[in-house]
Amino acid sequence: MKKRVTLTFPRRMVQMPITYRLAKDFNIAANIIRAQVAPNQVGKIVVELAGDIDQLDAALDWMRSQEITVSLANREILINEEACVHCGLCTGTCPTEALTLDSKTFLLNFTRSRCIVCEQCVPTCPVQAISTNF
Amino acid sequence: MRTIAEINEKIKSGSVVVLTLEELKAKVAAVGIAQTAKEVDVVVAGTFEPMEASGAILNLGHTDPPIKIRQCWLDGVLAYSGFGAVDLYLGASQSAEPLGMAELNESEEPGDRGGGHVIEDLIAGKTVQLRATGQSTDCYPRATLDTIITKDTINQFYLFNPRNLYQNFIVGVNGGDRQLHTYLGPLQPRLGNAVYSNLGALAPLFNDPRLRLLGIGSRIFLGGGIGYITWEGTQHFPLQKRLPNDTPIGPAATLALIGDAKQMNPKWVRGCYFKQYGPSLMLGVGVPLPVLDEEVVRCCAVKDEDLVAPIIDFSIPRRVRPTFGLVTYAQLKSGRVKIEGKTVRVAPLASVALSRQVAQELKQWIENGSFTLTAPVAQIPDDRKFIAQEIWGSQTVLE
Repeated sequence: MKKRVTLTFPRRMVQMPITYRLAKDFNIAANIIRAQVAPNQVGKIVVELAGDIDQLDAALDWMRSQEITVSLANREILINEEACVHCGLCTGTCPTEALTLDSKTFLLNFTRSRCIVCEQCVPTCPVQAISTNF
Repeated sequence: MRTIAEINEKIKSGSVVVLTLEELKAKVAAVGIAQTAKEVDVVVAGTFEPMEASGAILNLGHTDPPIKIRQCWLDGVLAYSGFGAVDLYLGASQSAEPLGMAELNESEEPGDRGGGHVIEDLIAGKTVQLRATGQSTDCYPRATLDTIITKDTINQFYLFNPRNLYQNFIVGVNGGDRQLHTYLGPLQPRLGNAVYSNLGALAPLFNDPRLRLLGIGSRIFLGGGIGYITWEGTQHFPLQKRLPNDTPIGPAATLALIGDAKQMNPKWVRGCYFKQYGPSLMLGVGVPLPVLDEEVVRCCAVKDEDLVAPIIDFSIPRRVRPTFGLVTYAQLKSGRVKIEGKTVRVAPLASVALSRQVAQELKQWIENGSFTLTAPVAQIPDDRKFIAQEIWGSQTVLE
């Protein structure tokens, strides 16, 4: 199964090769969606973890024991269908093409699984129909 | 083939045949121009896009004692008041003034609301705060006015838009090295994206390229109510270079529109805001084109591959910006264009989905007999010069 989580590393943990440990010890494929990691700073990555369900839970427990904050409540892009005018301007700034216009109906289509929550669409929307959940 | 009077007879008798532009283009592809012209009476075009050169006239009605308003704000947006005592003009792109720095929170930029939003709110029936100062005179003794208004508590409220319905526009790109915030939205550096704002083959004025059918007095759909074409639009430029099919290669004709805002629907009149550029107004406009002869159908059969727009580099902040050449609307609508060998993603700014709904709504109005066509009382000029503002007098040179 797949789980998308946000990991927050204390400063001293930034040196740990976390995706290597996940692969080696828990047989988990970690797909980094978004990351902000720099030497000697609190790091943050949004990562999609794929693997066996028990292994996933064990990995999350292990990370928590390493003082990595694991958040399952992820920041998500929300589209206000009432406010959206389907102009399509956001589709040009979305780097992963999670936002597209349907080729027939020309209505805005949001493929959540492709979204990396870069939030570039939020200020782009001229009618403020796009926001994040927190 | 048929006159506007004959078409109106058919509208009244319920036998009129109306097609949207999309339906017409499909029909022409299927049965040809001559047969289509025989069968179809009216073609309707709709658009929904930002039109910042728009605004509303408000006449408040007189207070007791009366006031001659000299300064006025509606929900903090300055409205022009230098004419009749209680006449106001609320421009769509006027930013709301911050009430004080303390009230600005960090995430909000000052002025992400503007005249367009206030117009939308009034049309939606919401209350709007009005603050005004007046010049006390013997006729108008009151000095200040602080009240709330709705569209039902003011005497008159109509949109009067000096420039709408651009016949073609540009494609914006950014060849520089920093992000630009424009009236086409954000443009990423190093040709990161491109934005176009015209509907191409579905744009009303691309289908009447020489404005043979539309003119002063033509009745239209404006913001969900009845409107009229009143004049050429500002920056009307009919002498733009044209292709052999008579369509212009860049911004060309524009129209001034008017319509009673009290009858409008907030669905078709939407305040909008472009980050670090300013507020504007998205507006739905529908236009009926009477099928007077085969030439009308021939013009309305124009396709995206037959229409072009210039790609303009916004990184040079001058009046004449460099261009990367022309691109067809078929290429733009494919979502990608090639600029100097680089593939660039393209996004639209005019809403095809809502434009279609505007066309469908106007089609229904005509079919159910509630909208008849009017012949123009005068044509829009087709030979107007375009004068840029050259700056005269001594200039301060900044070294």
